Amino acid sequence: MDEAPEPHDDELVARTQAGDPEAFDDLVVRYSPRLYGLIYNMTSNHEDTNDLLQEVFAKAYRSIKGFRGKSSFYTWMHSIAVNMTINFIKKRGRRHAMSLDDLDAGIHNDPDFIDATTGGDPRDDANLSELQQRLNEALQKLSHEHRAVVTMFDIQGMPHAEIAKILGISEGTVRSRLFYAHRQLQNYLQEFIKH
Amino acid sequence: MDEDLKVSKLLRLKRYEQPPPGYFDDFLHEFQRRQRAEALRQPSWAALWERIASIAPTFRVPQFAYAAILILAGGASALILTQQPAGRLAGADDSRTSFSLTASRPVTITDTLPVSARTGGALPSHYVLQSRPVSNEQPLSF
Repeated sequence: MDEAPEPHDDELVARTQAGDPEAFDDLVVRYSPRLYGLIYNMTSNHEDTNDLLQEVFAKAYRSIKGFRGKSSFYTWMHSIAVNMTINFIKKRGRRHAMSLDDLDAGIHNDPDFIDATTGGDPRDDANLSELQQRLNEALQKLSHEHRAVVTMFDIQGMPHAEIAKILGISEGTVRSRLFYAHRQLQNYLQEFIKH
Repeated sequence: MDEDLKVSKLLRLKRYEQPPPGYFDDFLHEFQRRQRAEALRQPSWAALWERIASIAPTFRVPQFAYAAILILAGGASALILTQQPAGRLAGADDSRTSFSLTASRPVTITDTLPVSARTGGALPSHYVLQSRPVSNEQPLSF
């Protein structure tokens, strides 16, 4: 027998607004992996990401009765996550230590990884670890506005229009920030690009 | 290959960075636990305020209503202030215009006694006019 189709976000939001906390649990399950990726790639720290993600959902739960659906729930949630993460990064300042997640084993078969590690054995853990370290260091050197755009576009694969809505800026600004961020990243990641 | 594209490809590799297995299951449980703890810790007035604040945007209040309320409040305040006694407003000399419940000297028990008691039994001196009551006067007769 086929499983019932997953309820749409709007339905879960309406049920939450009507006082059904389990509906919000479904939204947490649905959005936590995606928002985790967004926050993690902006902070490069697993523990900070965990705490921030808890706060993001707590804030969303407190505010959901005021959500009127002018934007999609997806956009609304991402806006909360990005704004809270940027505020956190501003407060954190320069005192920052990276706490990186493990890499999924699937990376060994990714052609982009093999291409990036040409010259060495792509299965070499030292290569892998160095690449991960350098990528995160390079991201942390970007301003928080540039990092947010790069995370959403390059890592999470969001379209420009969606990023513009989340950040409340024009698509042109998104493209411009991406352009400058990529230029900086090219400098930081020279050794993985020039071969 | 275009360097910009190479940067994008490198960044895409960050998708392989993943939290430990079971993390997201635990995350939901932790969220539920924190929510319960928060609800227990929150004073009742804060819960009420939060509820009001969350539904406040749903009130359909016309834009001008806020201005009208402000004007009414200002008018009422002005009316109350103008109806205060002038002396009070001007901070006039209190010794002339205000009453005091405190006496200039302490009130003693003798103040409430009959006059005869206050003088140790002797009646105070009094004066009698040399005249007779009208009823005792002789009728006029010629």
